[in-house]
Formats: sequence, C-alpha cells, structure tokens
Amino acid sequence: MAFLTLEQVNKFYGELAAVRDVDLSVARGEFVSLLGPSGCGKTTTLQMIAGLVEPTSGRIMLDGRDITHEKPNRRGLGIVFQSYALFPHMTVAQNVAFGLEMRKVPRAERDRRIGEMLALVHLSAFAERYPRQLSGGQRQRVAIARALVIEPPVLLLDEPLSNLDAKLREEMQFELRRIQRSVGTTTIMVTHDQAEALSISDRVVVMEAGRMTQIDAPYRLYEKPATAFIASFVGRMNRLEGVWRRNGSASAIEVAGTVLASEAADIPAGSVVTATIRPEKLRLHKAGEGRLDGHVTSRFFLGGHWLFNIETPVGVIVVSMPNDGEEPAREGEHVGIGWTPASLRIEASGGEATT
Amino acid sequence: MQKNGPVAILFHTLVVAFVLAPLVVICLVAFTPENTLTIPTTQFSLRWFRAILDYPDFVTAFGNSLWLATIAATLSAVIAVPAALAIDRYHFAGRDALNALFLSPLIIPHLVLGVAFLRLFALIGVTGSFGWLVLSHVIVITPYVLRLVIAALSGLDRSAEQAAMTLGASRWTVFRRITLPMILPGVTGGWLLAFINSFDELTMSIFVTSPATVTLPVRMYMYATESIDPMMAAVSALMIALTAIAMLVLDRMFGLDKILVGEK
Repeated sequence: MAFLTLEQVNKFYGELAAVRDVDLSVARGEFVSLLGPSGCGKTTTLQMIAGLVEPTSGRIMLDGRDITHEKPNRRGLGIVFQSYALFPHMTVAQNVAFGLEMRKVPRAERDRRIGEMLALVHLSAFAERYPRQLSGGQRQRVAIARALVIEPPVLLLDEPLSNLDAKLREEMQFELRRIQRSVGTTTIMVTHDQAEALSISDRVVVMEAGRMTQIDAPYRLYEKPATAFIASFVGRMNRLEGVWRRNGSASAIEVAGTVLASEAADIPAGSVVTATIRPEKLRLHKAGEGRLDGHVTSRFFLGGHWLFNIETPVGVIVVSMPNDGEEPAREGEHVGIGWTPASLRIEASGGEATT
Repeated sequence: MQKNGPVAILFHTLVVAFVLAPLVVICLVAFTPENTLTIPTTQFSLRWFRAILDYPDFVTAFGNSLWLATIAATLSAVIAVPAALAIDRYHFAGRDALNALFLSPLIIPHLVLGVAFLRLFALIGVTGSFGWLVLSHVIVITPYVLRLVIAALSGLDRSAEQAAMTLGASRWTVFRRITLPMILPGVTGGWLLAFINSFDELTMSIFVTSPATVTLPVRMYMYATESIDPMMAAVSALMIALTAIAMLVLDRMFGLDKILVGEK
C-alpha cells in the first residue's frame, strides 16, 4: 500500500532540530502537500526525500527499497525547484532531454518522449527557445516537463507556484493537478500557501516547528483542525476565550459577560475553553435578530464574497458572506450575527478538542 | 532611463579623451617620416613599420610573448577553476589562508617577485628556461582568474546543479555540463585579463627572461633604453591594432557582453 514512507526521520543542524520524528506514508499516485510557515522543516523534509540533505536518523523507503543514504543521482526522483533551476545555456528541448541523456535513452526514443512531454505541458512551440525567452509560467512548465520526462516514481515540488503572479498561480494549480492526474505520478509538494495545498492535494500534511502535526484530507483539515495553529493557519478563524457554562441540558460559553449558545460537550462546567468558528459559518441579520449584536467597522468586497469586521461585546468578529447580488450591511451599521450551535467548536484549554 | 545632462556629457567626454589621447598620439607618431618622436604634419610615412621588419628580435619577442601569455593564462584558468570551487563551496581548515595565498601576488611588488625568482631560478639552475618563465607568470596572473571565477560562482544558482544531479548526472557530468558552462563568462573574462597582464608584464620579466625568452615588453624596454626613435611608436601602434582586431573578432564570434558580463 505505502509507496513512499518516512520512518522516524530526524534532521539536526548541530543542536538545532530542523525536522523531528517525522512519520509519513504516501500511497502510489497520491498527491500530498507539506504545508507550513517558513522554517517549519517542510523543505528540509523534501530535500531528504530527494537526497540533497542526509537525515540525522530515521529511514526513508521507496517501493520497499531503503533509499535513506542513496545518492540523489541514483534515486531517479523528479524535482521541481522553487527557482525552477532550468539550465540557462540549454534550450527547452535540451533541458528536457538532459535526464534522458543521463539514462542513455536512444536518440529516437528521446526525441519522441521530449515531444510527448512538451505537448503535455503545452510547450511544443517553444522547444528551441532558451529559458530567458520564456515567461514565468512557461519556465515552470519546462521544469515540470524536465522532471516528469524521466518517468520518476515520485515527483517532488518545492514551492512550485510561489514565483508566479496571483492569476497565473491559480491557473497553474489546476494545470499541475491535470498533469499529475494524466501521468499518475506520486507527488509531494511543499508550500506555505494553504489555498494551494487545499485545492490540489489528496492529503495535506501540516508542519509546525519541525513536526508533522496533522495529516488529513483538505476538507477534514479545514473542518477539524487538530491544533489552534492549524485552525488559524488554514483559512480564517474567529477565536474566543471564555468559560464553559452548563444550565441543565443547555450548554453555553460565557465570553466577557456575554453568553453564547453551543452544543453540549463533555467538559466540566467552569473550565476555561476556546471557541472557534469559521467566518463563512456566520450569518448577518438585522440588529437584535441574531445571537450576538455589533456594528460593522469595515467591510471588504472580494468579488465572490464580502468580508466584514464586526465590533461586538466579545471582540472583533470576522464574517464572510457570499455575494448574492445585493449590497449587504454598510460600515457603521448595527447588525446581528447568527450561527448554528453545531458549527461553534469548543476546545478545553487543556487541548482536548471536541465538537 | 535617465538622460545625461550637458555637464555630465562634457565630463564623460573629457574622461574618454584623457584615456584615448595617448593612444591616438602614439598611433599618429608611428606614421612620422622624421627621426624624432613628432606628430606628422605634412606627410605620412610607413618607414618605421618597415624598420620593425629589419629587427627580427621584435618579431621573435612578439612570438614569445604571445606563446607565454596564452600558455600562462590557460594554466591559470586550469588552476583557478578548481581552486575557486573549493574556496566557494567548502569550509575547510586553511581555506582563508589558501585564498590569501592565491591573491598575494597582487600585493607583492613585481620588482620583489622578479628578484626572488631570479635568485630561485639561479639556485635550482633553471635560469633562462621558458617553462619556468611561464610558471612565474602563472603565479602573477592567477589572482585575476581566481577573483572572476569566484565572483561567477557566488552568483550561480546552486539549484541548477542539484537539478542536474537529481536527473542522474554524476558530479563530473554536473561540472562539465552545468557548472562550467554557467561560469564560462567568468572563466573567459579571467582568462582575457590574465592574458593581457602576462602579455603586458615588464617589471618581473626583466629579471627572469633570458636572451632566448625575451618578451615583447622587455625587448621594447631594452630598445628604448638605447635609442628613442619612432619605431617604438610603430610597435605600439601595431599592438593597439592587433588588440582592437582581436576584440572585434571575439565580439563578432561570441559577443563581448556575453563573455565578460554574462547573459541575462
């Protein structure tokens, strides 16, 4: 089942732990993202899989073979670097040909495979151009073609989209997924962009300070973040500190004197808890008709949806509303905020998460 | 891009004039029909160019210099590229000392080096050997190549090498197919600088050349100490012309920008 596994992998630079106790198993054909802020160890992890960095301890297995100490040029993995790392003195075709030359693939077959690969990334017309004559998105596709043409068992992508502008990045996300689907190569992508990780991965691995803190499908990661860090790093999140109250069968959280209804949770009454809720799970109502009143301090129109910052007795709450074609509340207006109790997540400050 | 103001243009013109004026004057003097170093006013003559041919010593010396500079600059490049790689890539004991050692010929006066080599060559009995002359030049010109190659290496994107390695290339193949082509502007630029410095070197060469290995600058110096006539100007004019032609050819074949600045 597991095609690529990392077992108890550690990387220390002197006393400094870059990667701690990493366990990960990736199935054949899977697209896995390593997500985290800079310095969390995600790139180091990728480089250890690539063989560019040697782990301090632990084991990396590929298709039943121990590759922990194998040289990068013998692993046969495809890597796309953040800077694309194209060979500036070679044409697009020569760049793509390089890996095949190293494998001593006969000329005719080499040309055929280069042609197929360039067609896959829509660059057939650019075969004789040099990298400096290409746009950022085209260079990126050359890098992907160069990595994929050797038919690697695993494709490693290091922040592949971070050098592209926003519009292109979105297009390339889908392009990347299309290419990966059509060749079926097991892919591991490093990114700090949560939207990127969520939109194209089968599973997302969140890394914090060298450790993997959650490995889950994008949807589950978003809905059930394992830690407060993940909750705030992946998407937006409203957080409220309060005290857990129980009144018979009704449960509620009391924040700064305001009581907010919630679903029952197995937490002793009186304990300190954190309540979290996503901005898009909140609804705007007329003042007095919601569960909490406040006034709009600022609002932002983002095309597909609106974003409101609402000053309430419990602090500033962020609300996201889909754009349904009508202009919603204006700045300064008094509004009510509503939600279904089930969408308010309660977590005892001890750390045990329940819903 | 900003345009230069009139004052700036005047300034740049003066600088260029200051640099070029002596070259222009020497080229003009070369065509004088007189016996003294004068700028020809009434008529031009090629008599001093013909005079060079009567001194086969100059032709031999020119050949010596050309060979010497070519071999010395090439050897320097062969030494400097691995040295620069080691200094740029690895942190080993004595790295700074090695770097300083390689660059020290820049600081030591050539006069001192000349005397030192003269003594050394006499001691080991190789005075007058062309091979040892080459060696002494290699030592003096290697710093130029080294500096340029180190500069080229520090600006190099290492991930291109890593990419080549992950594509299956051995370390040697990575060097040959990726690293060397990428630092080639630095290497050729360094080679050219080294060549010019070797070709031009006089102070040290006076001490270490023998009658059989006299270089052009030494020959010119020897001639000038005995007599000052416009033949010196004719030799200089020829060298300027040769340099200009070489630069033109290089530019036509490779593009000087490409060699010395690197492509973007």
